[in-house]
Amino acid sequence: MNENTCVSEVCGDYVLVRLSGEVDLSWSQQVRRAILDALGDGGRVGVDLSQVGYIDSSGIAALVEGLQNARSHNRKFVLVAVSDAAMAVLRLARLDRVFSIFSDLDAARSA
Amino acid sequence: MNAAWPATVCVPEHDPARHGGRRALGFLADLSQALAVSLDLRTTLEPALARILDFMQAEAASLFLLDEATNLLECRVCVGPVDIVGLKVAAGQGVVGRAVAQNAPQRIDDARNDARVNTRVDAETGFVTRAILCVPLATAQGPLGAIEIINRRDGGAFDEDAAEILRLIAAPMALAINNARLAAKLAEQQRIRREMALARSIQKSLLPRRRRGRFPLIGVNLPAHEISGDFYDYFELPDQRIAFFIGDISGKGLDAAFLMVRVVSLLRFSGKDASTPAAWLSEVNRELCNTLQHGRFVCAVVGIYDRGTRCATLASAGFPPALRDDGIRFEELPADGPPLGILAEAEYGERQVDLADAALYLFSDGATDVREGARDRLGSDGLRGLIRRHAALAPEPRLRALIGELKRRKLVDDTTLLLLQEPRGSQVRELLALRFPAAPIRMRAVRAALRTALDAEDVAPELRDRLVLAVDEACTNIIRHAYHHQLGEDTCDETDSIALRVTRERDRLGFELRDEAPCVDAARIKPRDPSECRIGGLGLAFIDATMDAWYIEGLPGGCGNRLIMHKQLKAKTESDE
Repeated sequence: MNENTCVSEVCGDYVLVRLSGEVDLSWSQQVRRAILDALGDGGRVGVDLSQVGYIDSSGIAALVEGLQNARSHNRKFVLVAVSDAAMAVLRLARLDRVFSIFSDLDAARSA
Repeated sequence: MNAAWPATVCVPEHDPARHGGRRALGFLADLSQALAVSLDLRTTLEPALARILDFMQAEAASLFLLDEATNLLECRVCVGPVDIVGLKVAAGQGVVGRAVAQNAPQRIDDARNDARVNTRVDAETGFVTRAILCVPLATAQGPLGAIEIINRRDGGAFDEDAAEILRLIAAPMALAINNARLAAKLAEQQRIRREMALARSIQKSLLPRRRRGRFPLIGVNLPAHEISGDFYDYFELPDQRIAFFIGDISGKGLDAAFLMVRVVSLLRFSGKDASTPAAWLSEVNRELCNTLQHGRFVCAVVGIYDRGTRCATLASAGFPPALRDDGIRFEELPADGPPLGILAEAEYGERQVDLADAALYLFSDGATDVREGARDRLGSDGLRGLIRRHAALAPEPRLRALIGELKRRKLVDDTTLLLLQEPRGSQVRELLALRFPAAPIRMRAVRAALRTALDAEDVAPELRDRLVLAVDEACTNIIRHAYHHQLGEDTCDETDSIALRVTRERDRLGFELRDEAPCVDAARIKPRDPSECRIGGLGLAFIDATMDAWYIEGLPGGCGNRLIMHKQLKAKTESDE
């Protein structure tokens, strides 16, 4: 699987946080920081999970915190291109219907 | 005089009033001390009364104690020319009776002309009563009796000072009598407790000894009080099969305990050559119907277990349903007939129970009647939950853990558990054994090793990923909550480590994690409701949703924890719930 990376880039009206690798306790704090920073910019935030081979509860917690933060500021927060591995964990946590999940940012924009 | 009496302090006689006061104080101090050091009233009260007689310069003194059951006062000690020990007066009658009834001192200055005085004793003995002083032996629970002195030696009446002094004297006497009574009551309680302990040890000697080696039956009996109306036993039959029984005598206390002794020998005797469990129960039932006292009955299960076929045949007479546990679900086996000792013609059915891959739990209703809080019964569901929680343990530690759980709650009845399960061990294969530093950075490699081990067992990928997630969550919980690793910290104390062992026994995977952190409070580790959207406890919810059973226990010595998780592999029908 890929190296653990977390890259934020501006894609039009969204800030997209691209995660890859295995999101676990060893660096989920970094992920959390990146998501909160992206939300701090004031725009819409997407988290790309297409390259995530594994995510544990601390990674899920970082996503949940992002969602709660966005809701409290009335901002859009979406997950895009969720990998099967990440989707299985979201389902297990019964969060697959709590998050707005799209195949890509275009789908999120047109929703 | 009594050797326990210290010498009275001598005071020069230059000031008569002061001298009198000091004399009284010295006397009171001596009296209180002599009374305080003895719990034996028979040897203390008479010399005390003689001293009082001398000190008060009286001709006679007596002490009456109240019998609360009859409300009569009886003279227990007296000194003087006339022996009135044993004399009884009703509370309220005469001077003594009035002192007690009114809980107030009584003074009679001219007894011969006072209607309150009972003159019977004088008439019978020729003694002449002139003056009387009587004070109650007051306690917080009311007067215990009274102390009475008669006739001043100089012929005069008792004055107010004398009444005050006698009242002061009465206080330590009342206290001493109260203490002696409490001590006697305590000694009696201790005697009863010793005898109960003896009865308990005799009862215990009737329970079977735990067998060494790979024996499939173990039992525990927890009496709610010293003695028990519950019982169990097991023994080998000539054809190598094992006969066993467990039961519960109706009622509690000594009579139930005596009956238990009889029923155990009867069941043992009949079990030796009974052809089937149903015939066994019928025979014991007929015998008990002939001899049991009305209103008594016995609930019991009898069974015969064949180790060759791993099959047990059971017959139950009104006993709580047995539980067969195959590790995934419980099957309840209800009673096959009424309790023993009620209907002589009762018929009992019997049932076959396959125990090749299952355990059989038999328990008296005391096990489900334990109280969770002030009122809630643990109930059958609660007991099943406890069994599930400890399912990962081998039979003996599992039974110990169950008993520990029951004891932590409140036992209200005798409680007996019998567990029938063929010991495991031989077919357990180790799939993975790792020891690694308790640091988040190490988990990626651990997950990879675990995936490889599970792939080698052909575990379906979806299940494999969930098992890896559950083990990972368990490890990170250990790292965060047992070792208190701070988030974002990459290093760890090199001595903090986690050992992971994965085993397979038939189709059951076992995951064992050990750490060396201080013992955690297992009762506080509970998964949260997965529908709740909050962050904490999610890892535990993953474990709970994935594993069939898990159990955490502190290792002896307060250091180290052991988490055991189980997963039964089935043909690919894993639900996602």
